[in-house]
Amino acid sequence: MTRHLDQELTALLDGALPPARAREVEQHLAGCASCRAERDRLAHAVQLLAALPPPPAPSPDFSRGFYARLDAEPTARAGVLELLRRARWRNLVPIAGGALTLALVVGALASYRAEQARLARGLDLYQDYELVAGLDAVQDPEDVLVVGHLDELPAGARP
Amino acid sequence: MASDPDAALMLAFQNGDERAFRTLFERHGRAMVGFCHHYVKDGARAEELAQDVFLKVHRSAARYQPTARFRTWLYRIAANHCLNELRRGEYGARREAAAREGGSAPVDLDSLPGGAATPEQAAVGEALAGAVRELLARLPEKQRTAFVLCRLEGLSYEEIAEVLETSVSAVKSLLHRATVAAAEALAPWSAPDGKEARQ
Repeated sequence: MTRHLDQELTALLDGALPPARAREVEQHLAGCASCRAERDRLAHAVQLLAALPPPPAPSPDFSRGFYARLDAEPTARAGVLELLRRARWRNLVPIAGGALTLALVVGALASYRAEQARLARGLDLYQDYELVAGLDAVQDPEDVLVVGHLDELPAGARP
Repeated sequence: MASDPDAALMLAFQNGDERAFRTLFERHGRAMVGFCHHYVKDGARAEELAQDVFLKVHRSAARYQPTARFRTWLYRIAANHCLNELRRGEYGARREAAAREGGSAPVDLDSLPGGAATPEQAAVGEALAGAVRELLARLPEKQRTAFVLCRLEGLSYEEIAEVLETSVSAVKSLLHRATVAAAEALAPWSAPDGKEARQ
């Protein structure tokens, strides 16, 4: 019978049982030596704990130290910035990283296209053929063939 | 929670009344030092932790909902802060080293703890406090917090449930297990009216 009363014994000692349940537990205790022994063991510990000396009082500097720290806190506007710095940096890092990556990709593409345009402007030179043939933008082999024979076209027909 | 004067102060602070916050600190600051003491036992560190707790309250005032009692909200912040402190390796290592050296601090008979009439009683009280300190260090985090709030801070089961954001039934279970552990740890001690330990 002790087992099912275990939690009830602690709650009974703490006055945390509803009155009807407390009466039932008291009735059980009246007829159960084992439960009474367990209640007494728990009550002994609770009694000792209640007699513990209180923790030492704070030092005289406690309040002054707190207000000094409070005064050193950032102002409301700076507090928002501080909040952003503290709470959002984990979010800002991937966002900033993504933006930087995007900027690098866009920049690289722009640079690549500018290089293509520069090469295209000199296509009338045969030595540019190998460079043009190596460009990914020239996907169709027929384009490469045309470019390779540009010098055979009449001067007025060249691009 | 209109019946909670602390909640009213907190709402006033939310509306910009800095004096309301200072009143809350004056009311609960010392109690918070005592609460933090149950976790760190180092007086200076307990004060620092209690200050941290109120700085957190100051910073997070906007998040306070008057549906929660101010005291339980405060204890929740404090308990989480103290448990984080315990989880930090450096403090844990110091604590374990102290426990290996015997746990209880040497008794200074010149400074009697509150309520002690004689140096001998003070020594017994300090030794008992050392035994409780060792017990607390062994309890799982939730049991420890429930135990401290109930046995050492005097909160009701309902208030502890609010602090731990759990059910009263769960609190009952946590407190029973912690009290059984306390009964085992403190069995060698005589009742407080005897004023002497049997060990």
